[in-house]
Amino acid sequence: MWQRRHLLGLKDLDKKDIELILGQAEYFREIPRRQIKKVPSLRGKTVVNLFFEPSTRTRISFELAAKRLSADVINFSSSASSIQKGESILDTLKNMEAYAVDIFVIRHSFSAASVYLAQRTKACVVNAGDGANEHPTQALLDMFTVKQRLKKLTGLKVVVVGDIAYSRVARSNIWGFSHMGCEVWLCAPPTLLGRDFSALPVRITYDLRKAVKEADVIIMLRLQNERQSEKLIPSLREYRQHFGLNPDILKGARRDAVIMHPGPVNWDVEIASSLKEKIMPSILNQASNGLAVRMAVLYLLKGAAE
Amino acid sequence: MKILIKGATLVHHDRTEKKDILVKDSTIAKVSKKISSQEADEVIRASGKFVFAGFIDMHTHLRTPGREDEETLLSGALAAAKGGFTTILCMPNTTPPIDNYEIAFWIRKVSQNIGIVDIYPVGTITKERKGKELAEFGYLKEAGCLAVSDDGDPVASSLLLRRALEYAKMYNLLLISHAEEKSLAAGVMLESDISAKWGMPAIAEVAESVAVAREIELAYFTASRLHLAHISRRRSLRLIECAKKDKIGISCETCPHYFSLSVKDIERNNFHANFKVNPPLGTEDDKQAIRKALKSGVIDCIATDHAPHSFLEKEKSFQEASFGMIGLEFAFSLSYQLVKEKVLSLEVIADRLSYRPAKILGLEERGEIREGLRADLVIVDLEKEWVVDKESIVSRSKNTPFLGRKLPGVVEYTISGGKIVYKK
Repeated sequence: MWQRRHLLGLKDLDKKDIELILGQAEYFREIPRRQIKKVPSLRGKTVVNLFFEPSTRTRISFELAAKRLSADVINFSSSASSIQKGESILDTLKNMEAYAVDIFVIRHSFSAASVYLAQRTKACVVNAGDGANEHPTQALLDMFTVKQRLKKLTGLKVVVVGDIAYSRVARSNIWGFSHMGCEVWLCAPPTLLGRDFSALPVRITYDLRKAVKEADVIIMLRLQNERQSEKLIPSLREYRQHFGLNPDILKGARRDAVIMHPGPVNWDVEIASSLKEKIMPSILNQASNGLAVRMAVLYLLKGAAE
Repeated sequence: MKILIKGATLVHHDRTEKKDILVKDSTIAKVSKKISSQEADEVIRASGKFVFAGFIDMHTHLRTPGREDEETLLSGALAAAKGGFTTILCMPNTTPPIDNYEIAFWIRKVSQNIGIVDIYPVGTITKERKGKELAEFGYLKEAGCLAVSDDGDPVASSLLLRRALEYAKMYNLLLISHAEEKSLAAGVMLESDISAKWGMPAIAEVAESVAVAREIELAYFTASRLHLAHISRRRSLRLIECAKKDKIGISCETCPHYFSLSVKDIERNNFHANFKVNPPLGTEDDKQAIRKALKSGVIDCIATDHAPHSFLEKEKSFQEASFGMIGLEFAFSLSYQLVKEKVLSLEVIADRLSYRPAKILGLEERGEIREGLRADLVIVDLEKEWVVDKESIVSRSKNTPFLGRKLPGVVEYTISGGKIVYKK
């Protein structure tokens, strides 16, 4: 039974929780194939997408997920709003709450912003990415994709490569895959790893070949453009040389390895564009799985709130 | 006016004794085994209670001028009196900053008119705290400053700090340094397993010790006195200990939150902004090192870094909220907690809260209970406990991580300059 009111991250979930969400997502997976792509589960409920940081994909995915569950959806983005007039994020949330909102989907550029807001509302909260903390639905859809392809989620070698210290996707994946009993490897230059990652349940290497060897899952992260000016790497050229995924490196991995990327990809930086045809279907599959996973999360939270 | 404190145990920096104290006007007239009640106009019966020399806080922010909604000289003085402090220094990061004679003089005079506790403004090191040109130390001294500091914006140029140390000598002004290498400190909490876990922008532990190393070397080179504010890291203490062995003119303070809390408390309290402070709360290791250094004397004094913030400044997510916590009303109890935990003795508390700050600041008539000195006295009940709640806080701001905490030791009376300025 799902009993949580919020989904703020994967760090405090356990294996059962994750299995429950993925099982529910499995059920919602086939809805887009129906003639009427809609179920009445959230009819009469209101979902607000509170996005204090620009986002296209995640917001659309959540919006569509809520609509396919028959909820009423409001999209809020801070670029054209009261936040510009100096209203605090809490007041913004409270004003919305006055309209009897059931679920807030929150994105913010500050770490643990979702924790802050969740503690101050009666509604349910889904974290759609907060700073470098967590992006739980992204990791859940990654896990869902892996399970679909490899038919299992335990005992896998999972490698996360790239811009890790600043990545909420990396953190949620580390927690999620470790809870499922996978061996998580991190591979990045020390400047993008941070000093204290050894406190997390991971193994660390600077050698991509070693990381990828016999890997079942490879998660490539997007290298943010500003990393060079932030003095974290000397050049994209050198980064690509040591941490870029290309056909040669990929030979070391298992043949059926699942390669994922939260998107959008910097082709020829973190992944060679010669791999585009091979990888793109998997990335698009991630997107459609994202919809099912987000439907599952909204559905379960609503159930717990009632 | 004559006040007699009868039957209490006096806590000196080096011993305790049972004696009566007779205060006459603004001075301690007599300290003796038995003083007759007939000699006094008012008698405070204090058997079972303890008396300390009035506490001296080398580090407060009173937000005046500029943010009088957060604290005023009056509310700050009342909070100090409630906490047992009779002399406090207020930092110059105000708007406008205390970088000239007129503002420093105004603060000194207004606080003298209020007359509750003695408030000394700290002047800036540089004009407008911009780190470009020296402020007028001579005029600041004349206006009543005992010390200068650019507090939250440490002087980045080593050359300028050298000049400041050299120039300050002429006026016997104490230079107080907020030791922080800013380029290593672009974060909101200590760089640690917890910041890694939560993806929080983090402050390296060496942001402090790197700067401490520089300050020590410049104090050595200029043969000057330099006081290091709010020391919070184990590594800094190693450097300070070494500098003291070399007889370099360094002194330092820590704050109660650094020996009472650790970075774990931030996570335990769901990243409540009341736990956000700079320097950031340290590891358990840092906390133990600070306790040890307080005991050994590597740390000279306990200051509060009392930093009032409005409700709004703290009702924000952790990353967005302002740094700082109030401290005047809890410092004694939190220090006494260390006595209860058998880390410190009462005498060490008297030393770190009264005796040594007076010595560092050159306040010859304060910091001790001795005949002829200024009558700054605190009477405390060590048996009693109290609970920190918003309503009981006298400061205009309520931002403290100790809300709801039960603390030992209650200040019953504060006597400043011979006047009872606080009575429970």
